[in-house]
Amino acid sequence: MPELISWAIFLIALALILTESVERTIAALGGASAMLIGGGLLGFYSEEQAIEAVDVETLTLLFGMMTLVALLQPTGAFEYLAIQVARLSRGRPIRMLVFLGAITSLLSMVLDNVTTVVLIAPVTVLITEILGLSPMPFLITEALLSNTGGVATLIGDPPNIIIGSAAGLTFNDFLVHSLPVVLVAWAAALVLLIWMFRRELGGGPVEPAVLQGLDPGQALRDTRTARKVTAVLGLTVVCFLLQSQLGLSSSLIAVSMASVALLWLRPPMDKVLDSIEWQVLVFFAGLFVIVGGLEASGGLQVLEQLALRASAGHISVAAVGILWITAIFSALVDNIPITVALVPVIQHLGTQGVEIFPLWWALAFGAGFGGNATIIGSTANLIVVRLSERTRQPITSRLWLRRGLPIMLITCLIGSLAFLLALPLFQR
Amino acid sequence: MDVGSVMKREVVSIRADQTLEEAIRLLVDKRVGTLPVVDEQARLVGILGLREILQLCWPTLLDMLGNYDFVRDFGVLERNDISAEDRAKPVGQLMQPATRVEVDCGLLRAEAVMRQHQLRDLPVVDEQNRLVGLASWVDVGVAFLRHRSLSQDRP
Repeated sequence: MPELISWAIFLIALALILTESVERTIAALGGASAMLIGGGLLGFYSEEQAIEAVDVETLTLLFGMMTLVALLQPTGAFEYLAIQVARLSRGRPIRMLVFLGAITSLLSMVLDNVTTVVLIAPVTVLITEILGLSPMPFLITEALLSNTGGVATLIGDPPNIIIGSAAGLTFNDFLVHSLPVVLVAWAAALVLLIWMFRRELGGGPVEPAVLQGLDPGQALRDTRTARKVTAVLGLTVVCFLLQSQLGLSSSLIAVSMASVALLWLRPPMDKVLDSIEWQVLVFFAGLFVIVGGLEASGGLQVLEQLALRASAGHISVAAVGILWITAIFSALVDNIPITVALVPVIQHLGTQGVEIFPLWWALAFGAGFGGNATIIGSTANLIVVRLSERTRQPITSRLWLRRGLPIMLITCLIGSLAFLLALPLFQR
Repeated sequence: MDVGSVMKREVVSIRADQTLEEAIRLLVDKRVGTLPVVDEQARLVGILGLREILQLCWPTLLDMLGNYDFVRDFGVLERNDISAEDRAKPVGQLMQPATRVEVDCGLLRAEAVMRQHQLRDLPVVDEQNRLVGLASWVDVGVAFLRHRSLSQDRP
């Protein structure tokens, strides 16, 4: 009985997220409350257990990185970078697509990719429009490549943070085990995007003079703050690289670096806190509580049995299975619930003697690459679509599927091939 | 002092079934920024401003970013035009609900209403909602100042 109740609550919350009838944060909060009430009445889930289920490590790491981005955001640094790379392209559309895609990916490997896209996409619309190009291919490319690039690092993508925290993976683990695959997948995605957009990108340089009229210096509103935050971000990455030597947790690095930046800059704190994406943090906390209830009720045993049977064969086949299931679920609903739900399942497999290290990477690839297929697959996709609705060529769901699905398929295929052909890459 | 005594009484207006082309011609010929939309009985039914019409050729891009200092040249966007299709549309399709005040509205209240709704021109109506005038932000502000300095000049 408790299993049925907890599954019903979990599935109703997912259905609300899927149908977008309520905002996903509200669905998660409502589901968490329902799970606690149900768990209290039937005695399978207490408030203490719920608090324990919330992965504070994940939330703290997200909060720290969000604070650093919130400090960088108003300086105009993102606009500055976008204009610089656009000028470097000298108005050649393909080159501009590659450069803007690359800078978005690079930024989203270190920063939250939602914020990166929120800041880069409007400048992209401006630059492409004044050049007489359609912003559409550029917006889709930026979202897809930032989703893909973010998979490469611990802090690049929220599912990675969740997985890293649960599995005890460090920043360097991601550079060793994930980055090589992501580099191949990213390059393949880029080539495929250029080919798919060959008609829109055809033609020579457009009005290079107009491009030279864009003054990156003017875009940078607060050079001193931008320099300071960039310095702290650089130090943050160094700390992550030396994480095992320093003996610090990922969340402590993020929060202490955010504190360093805050002490150095002493900005108005209310403005900084306004830029934190609280809805993301609340959504995550809600999901942790929901899945905690699912686990406490014994509801995850069904999945655990399935997974155990599936992983009885070769581990790379199990990894490929997890990758595709996660990817399809991420494309159709959201990558966070599936990640949060599969974490305890994989942990359970570990206790049964299954070699689970490769499975963590399968989960990360599935959650990261799967979101490319549909507009709702990732928040970055939603943001560029909303922005495109204000241009002359709005991006429709069908158009996204035609461009995003091939990218999901090729990136997931490359991930699968990596497990089948280079399994040692995913072993300790 | 009320808005009725500072407003312009000769107002260029348009009807909802006229085309945008006609509205554009009126704005250009009369050099005005706001066209109150009225029915046959001169009752105010909406408002059509320069802003709504320019939105058709100026991209919405102009409110996407917080900073445009770095753009020296808007390139091909400078040459945007309003399509023939848009020009043939009836005014009723593009007009906005009109914020209005009555003739006896005080100047400070007129200013507050304009501020709240971010208006430059305020249609003024009588009790039957018939358009009787249009008070601009400048009309209201200047009248307010004139009234103040005159009363201060008195011994």
